[in-house]
Formats: sequence, C-alpha cells, structure tokens
Amino acid sequence: MSTMFADTLLIVFISVCTALLAEGITWVLVYRTDKYKRLKAEVEKQSKKLEKKKETITESAGRQQKKKIERQEEKLKNNNRDLSMVRMKSMFAIGFCFTALMGMFNSIFDGRVVAKLPFIPLSYIQGLSHRNLLGEDYTDCSFIFLYILCTMSIRQVSTLNLEQGRLIPIQEEELCTCNLGTVCGFCVCLRSCASYSKQF
Amino acid sequence: MWSIMHASGSWPWSPAKPLGGKADVSDWNSLRDQEDEFLDVIYWFRQIIAVILGIIWGVVPLKGFVGIAVFCLINAGVLYLYFSSFQQIDEEEYGGTWELTKEGFMTSFALFLVVWIIFYTAIHYD
Repeated sequence: MSTMFADTLLIVFISVCTALLAEGITWVLVYRTDKYKRLKAEVEKQSKKLEKKKETITESAGRQQKKKIERQEEKLKNNNRDLSMVRMKSMFAIGFCFTALMGMFNSIFDGRVVAKLPFIPLSYIQGLSHRNLLGEDYTDCSFIFLYILCTMSIRQVSTLNLEQGRLIPIQEEELCTCNLGTVCGFCVCLRSCASYSKQF
Repeated sequence: MWSIMHASGSWPWSPAKPLGGKADVSDWNSLRDQEDEFLDVIYWFRQIIAVILGIIWGVVPLKGFVGIAVFCLINAGVLYLYFSSFQQIDEEEYGGTWELTKEGFMTSFALFLVVWIIFYTAIHYD
C-alpha cells in the first residue's frame, strides 16, 4: 500500500474518530442532562399539539382560538431558544477541541498529497483542495479538503444519534454548523501558524 | 444499513413494497411518524446510491465534472421514480417535489465524492 493511500485511509479513520468524539462530548454535556431531556420532551409535545390545532382550525375560527395559537407558538419559540442555549455549551467545547486537533493534524499532513482527485475542482475550491501543496497539479488533494468531505459524509453514517438512542440521520443544519466550526477552527490555526512563522 | 430502529423497534414497511395508500392510517400521530420515516427511507436510499456510484465511478474510472453531473442526474432521477411512480405518494404532503429531491442530497454528494476519491486513488494511483 503506498503512502498516499495509507494517508487517505488514515484521514477517513480520523474523521470517524472525531465524529464519535464530538457526539460523545455532546452526550456528556447535553443529552444526558435532565434539563435537556425535559426541554426536548416539552418542545416535541408542544409542536405536535400546535400542528394538530393548526390542522383542525377553520377560516371562521374566533379571535380567541387564534390568540391561543399565537400564545402556544410564542411558548414553543421560547422553549426552542432555551434548547439552543443548552446545546451551545457542547458547541463551544467541540470547537475548542477541534481547534487543537486541527492544529496538530495540520502540522502532521502539511505539504503532503493525501489523495488524487478524479476531477479538477473549481478555482475558489482549489484554495482548500490544494492548500500548502507544491506544484500546479490541482488534482492533488490536501488533508483539509478530504477531511471536510469525510466529516460531512461519514459523520451521518457512523455516528449514533445518542439523543434518541437510535441511528437516525443528523439534520443537515447541524452538520453544516459542525463543519463550519471545524473550518473556523482550522482557519484560526492557520492564522496563528502564519503569524508564528513570521517571527522567524 | 437497515438496522435503523423505529420507535416501536421494527421497520414500518419494506422499501421494496408500495406504501399501500393514505387510507391505512387513521391516527394523526401515526401519519406524522410514517411521513418522517418515509423521509428517512429517502435519505438512506440516497446514501446507498452515492456509495454504489462512487465505487463504480472510481473503478471505471469516470473523471471530471461529467462524473459529478451524471451522479446528480442519477441520484435525483432514481429517487424521483421511486417516490412518484413506485410509491405513488402525494408530493404535496411532504412539501413538494423539491423538498423530496433535496432530502439528504448534500450529504449523499459528500459521501459520493469520498468513495469516488478513495477508489480512484486506490486503483489508479496506488
């Protein structure tokens, strides 16, 4: 097995491990807490109640009915906001961990071609796919591009959604948030490496 | 892949069989559950197509944006045929054809790229 293919498989393995780590951190900090379970149950109950009410309401429904629905929607919105605040804790912890991990992986895979792309990426993606690689062959793939693709795909296949104790697809909005956190962490590392190297 | 646990512990229907019409459910909650589960079926069906096409594209190999374009067409086309002709569902119940078409598309696209890159690198550059 060549070094390049070994790197490809290693990056896939790393992304599986980091996905499990992220889910584990979220479970420890969020999913197993009573507050989160209570809020989640409340939100689900209220959503179902509200949807059922909206389905049965008619055009000729009185003002009182409509006001009742508005009050329920407000209550649901507040509970959703509280739920997001609880999740925020884990996002910070994951962002912090990933920043450190990205710095480490960046130094390990710096300048290494980890895979060959069967296509030439668009010019604005080449900055990511050909990052820190020598030469003008844009089918050479850098660590960060493959890692982001792996995270986007493998996370939803390999990760047990511990929130509900079963394997269900992760919402794409959550995945985008995590990927954004990963890329931001990487950019922070890049900038710190660039400023550090300037000193010498 | 089909070890996804339904809330009751069993798969509600076989993806190979048609749904059997709206008249089967009388309970509103069951209807919502069935709709969510159908979206899950669409989602995971997409991932399977992405893996299969990624392997084929990597082995052949099919290169360039032609490969990406053909993947998008096959992915969208097969799923459209599945939910409109085979299952014959009412797309409006799920928010329209577009909602069903884009359900899980981006993650399946990322999975397709990963599998394609891995097989292409392994077979043609190893």
